[in-house]
Amino acid sequence: MRIKIEDRNGCSICVISGEVDINTAPQIKKFFDRIMQDKKKKVLINFKDVSYIDSSGLATLVELLKNIRSYGGTLKLSNLSSKIKSLFEITKLEKLFDIVEEEEEAIKSFA
Amino acid sequence: MKRIRIKNEPKNIKATSAKIIGFLRKQKRGLPEDVLFDIKLCIEEALRNAMIHGNRSDGKKPVDISYDIIDNRFIISIEDQGKGFDASNLPDPTKGRNLAREGGRGVYLMYRLMDKVCYNDRGNCVTMEKALL
Repeated sequence: MRIKIEDRNGCSICVISGEVDINTAPQIKKFFDRIMQDKKKKVLINFKDVSYIDSSGLATLVELLKNIRSYGGTLKLSNLSSKIKSLFEITKLEKLFDIVEEEEEAIKSFA
Repeated sequence: MKRIRIKNEPKNIKATSAKIIGFLRKQKRGLPEDVLFDIKLCIEEALRNAMIHGNRSDGKKPVDISYDIIDNRFIISIEDQGKGFDASNLPDPTKGRNLAREGGRGVYLMYRLMDKVCYNDRGNCVTMEKALL
């Protein structure tokens, strides 16, 4: 699992590659601790290279969402594969998260 | 049925799911990746529950797995050495405040992604089935 971060138009774009699961959750949490310490307001996670997610991965994203919202930030998710998107639908997490089709669309949609 | 016994070590979760997915790929060439994704996820969720909640992370307690393809259906049983639990008593993670809770989606996903999920009376062995279409 790898995470690349890029700042564009005041937005922190995080591109995760690989699996988001029980094995990688601690590494993902550690990475996003830095984002939260800096109180980044606009955070986008691009899922284009995420091949797998399990309940621990979903739990990590829920925790991250709550933490970012706690200081008034916004988290968006983009480029989910149809399979991963279906997991958000099954678990109803699509109601909790702001899921956008494409990265560019997500960047533009940040207020 | 193929039978394997694994040590209660988290590193065995991925190794076991990879072995079983490898078996399915070999036996049923051309299986949709979405079906394999669902099976992998449910195996890993069930193994994690068995190791952490069932065996309470006790390295001396094994997890027993049996699996096979019968009549074009994948069937797997995962048994731990714990006291068991009542899966019907778990809160629905999609309802009310549960939606914003971090955990509690593993068993729910198993029920939603597999065609059939049942626990034995003691609650320490889960059997899951999925059609291989």
